[in-house]
Amino acid sequence: MVLHKFGEKLYSGLVSTMTSHLKDISKFIEAAQGGLFLEELNRKWADHNKALQMIRDILMYMDRTFIPSTHKTPVHELGLNLWRDNIIHSSKIQTRLLNTLLELVLRERNGEVINRGLMRNIIKMLMDLGSSVYQEDFEKPFLEVSADFYRVESQKFIECCDCADYLKKAERRLNEEMERVSQYLDAKSEVKITNVVEKEMIANHMLRLVHMENSGLVNMLLDDKYDDLGRMYNLFRRVPNGLSTIREVMTSHIRDTGKHLVTDPERLRDPVEFVQRLLDEKDKYDKIIGSAFNNDKTFQNALTSSFEYFINLNPRSPEFISLFVDDKLRKGLKGVSEEDVEIILDKVMMLFRYLQEKDVFEKYYKQHLAKRLLSGKTVSDDAERSLIVKLKTECGYQFTCKLEGMFTDMKTSQDTMQGFNSAHGADLGDGPTLAVTVLTTGSWPTQPSVTCNLPTEMLALCEKFRSYYLGTHTGRRLTWQTNMGTADIKATFAKGQKHELHVSTYQMCVLMLFNNADRLSYKEIEQATEIPASDLKRCMQSMACVKGKNVLRKEPMSKDIGEDDVFFVNDKFTNKLYKVKIGTVVAQKETEPEKQETRQRVEEDRKPQIEAAIVRIMKSRRVLDHNNLIAEVTKQLQSRFLANPVEIKKRIESLIERDFLERDNVDRKLYRYLA
Amino acid sequence: MRRSSTRKTASSKATSKELERIDQLFYSYANRSSNLIDPEGIEVLCSDVEVDHTDVRILMLAWKMKAEKQGYFTLEEWRRGLKALRTDTVSKLKKALPELEKEVRRPSNFVDFYSYAFRYCLTEEKQKSIDIESICELLDLVLGSQFQAQVDSFVEYLKTQNDYKVVNMDQWMGFFRFCNEISFPDLRNYDPELAWPLILDNFVEWRRAKHS
Repeated sequence: MVLHKFGEKLYSGLVSTMTSHLKDISKFIEAAQGGLFLEELNRKWADHNKALQMIRDILMYMDRTFIPSTHKTPVHELGLNLWRDNIIHSSKIQTRLLNTLLELVLRERNGEVINRGLMRNIIKMLMDLGSSVYQEDFEKPFLEVSADFYRVESQKFIECCDCADYLKKAERRLNEEMERVSQYLDAKSEVKITNVVEKEMIANHMLRLVHMENSGLVNMLLDDKYDDLGRMYNLFRRVPNGLSTIREVMTSHIRDTGKHLVTDPERLRDPVEFVQRLLDEKDKYDKIIGSAFNNDKTFQNALTSSFEYFINLNPRSPEFISLFVDDKLRKGLKGVSEEDVEIILDKVMMLFRYLQEKDVFEKYYKQHLAKRLLSGKTVSDDAERSLIVKLKTECGYQFTCKLEGMFTDMKTSQDTMQGFNSAHGADLGDGPTLAVTVLTTGSWPTQPSVTCNLPTEMLALCEKFRSYYLGTHTGRRLTWQTNMGTADIKATFAKGQKHELHVSTYQMCVLMLFNNADRLSYKEIEQATEIPASDLKRCMQSMACVKGKNVLRKEPMSKDIGEDDVFFVNDKFTNKLYKVKIGTVVAQKETEPEKQETRQRVEEDRKPQIEAAIVRIMKSRRVLDHNNLIAEVTKQLQSRFLANPVEIKKRIESLIERDFLERDNVDRKLYRYLA
Repeated sequence: MRRSSTRKTASSKATSKELERIDQLFYSYANRSSNLIDPEGIEVLCSDVEVDHTDVRILMLAWKMKAEKQGYFTLEEWRRGLKALRTDTVSKLKKALPELEKEVRRPSNFVDFYSYAFRYCLTEEKQKSIDIESICELLDLVLGSQFQAQVDSFVEYLKTQNDYKVVNMDQWMGFFRFCNEISFPDLRNYDPELAWPLILDNFVEWRRAKHS
């Protein structure tokens, strides 16, 4: 027919025939009852498709020639459009179709099993008819209805479920919807329906869930509920601000707990416990972030900043961390494998990084290290060195060069002693033996020089050492540090008990006096030894008033040392052990006055550092305004301590007075470097 | 062609007679052995010009002379000062004082005078600061007439605080700027973020605490 120029007639004939045919079909479908509706529709659709194929084949010539030139709709497409217009969009079918589909979805959501295959076909039909048909006739209403459904359901759940259960339910629904899409909806709908679920079930109830009493985020954190936390993380990351909500609540919880930890007076009694608690807390949250929060960097950062915040709330944190290290290096790491030692030291370093006042830590660390080295009480030289290396890596050479100097002194002293003993060993005979450690003044914590008269038995020997040493090191000055030494004395008591007493140098001086006197008054002892009163009293107390260590007897028997007390050797002294340790040179938590003193020294040390920073900066910038100078100085000193702006200002003014800097004549905010 | 000639203005012209009289006047007050006018001599001078020796105008005279040492005038300084004032007798000197005061109080000169006053009180070699007691007196003397309220308040602060035992030049000059720039007594426009000397930050804080 086309060839004979009857294309138009053919085409319009096709249209009208098909249309009327479809109208009949439509009536047929409308008549279907209940469940059969969809089935009929499906069947008729399948028939229609088959027919369309045949018709297209038959009319192929027209399809290829007449239609393109007249810009008419191709046969197949025409067939689809007619189906759409006459069946799907027919007034009696359109709504009914939609409602049926939606009802099936609802029933499935409520737990019923539905005919998924049928659904799939119907939906496919809509998709074949055009994406706008699918969207308008199904998808849009589907999404709206789903939103209502989930809104209601989430409201119901949130009233009766705890957080973990609710999250499980939400997760389940989410998975259901995704499965639904893969089974019988257009793949493009997945994102849209999951958004609906996310919004209704998660986003709208986010805060309520997180803050739920007894089961919310904080409770999960406290109870290490990794699964529940992981679920919350995975669900919340789907919604805007989900993760930041979790993060904020976690952060404020950690800060509160941490603040409580560092200010609770109970905890502060034992520094080692205190630090251990901090490490435990960090471990706990590392584990949570690792197992449940996907090692999320932003969470790790939040953890770090929280720790930085509360560790520095307690000004004694640097001291306590040093005491913790001291405890570990003195005994805590005994028998621990090398790897485990490294792990513990690395954890300590991590706490160290959080400290703002690193210079305070350095001061205490030096003190404690000195005590460890001098008393020979370190568990492992390797562990000590390893920690120094870590500190050096973290803070630079400046921080550790003095500490390393201390180790060097120990080694050098050993060599010196060897030399001394081989040179003079023969002369010593039965006399006392001497072990000297020579300390380089700048490297060791500063000690004021004190008076102390050494017993005659020791004097000659000490002098011998002094002349030996100065013989090989001319130009140096040696001062005996009697407040830092120890002695081992063999003592025989009246009833024949023999003991070896490990005492401090002071105590040795006192005890040796009793070789020549049976009774000595406090005043006599003070005169003979010239040890400063407060030290002497403490030393007498530890020898006369402590059970098991009372090698001396005191009259009167009071606990305090009075000026008129008299001392005797305690003939009744007993101790199960042969070797008795009296006098501690062990690092301890400082007393209040000691703490004040250390803090003062730290403040004094900071002044030249601040000045050096100011001069460095001004030298390179030549001219700089006040606020920027303060900012630069603070930044430069950050790795050691947090510089106080008022203190910086004081140093600037001091430098102005000493003509290192001047103020600009015109602009008062500017400083100028004076070469 | 113009012949350049040095023109002597009236103020720099001094006849040899006048110079002689100036020198004579100097020696009338000077100490025989040291050839300087010492504190005793100054006191006599003061009573001659009928001005108290603690009066600020004597300080102004010292400034005019560019006198270096407090309580002493050298011949050179004396000549400098009296030549500049165009006086060679006591009565002329007395009459010149009001004019001198006006000159000093001109804003262009006052800063110089103010900083001079501080330096003048540094008696020891290498001394950089002045004790609180003396500073209080000096403040009142130099700024009292112009900024009485600020001076009184600052003096009260200095006497009651414990942080500072001395005041240095930087702080001294800072106070003058303070008087000129900061509204008083409300201190509304004082900004501690700017580079005011710390002593003034503390002063402002003290005042605000006192009057809150």
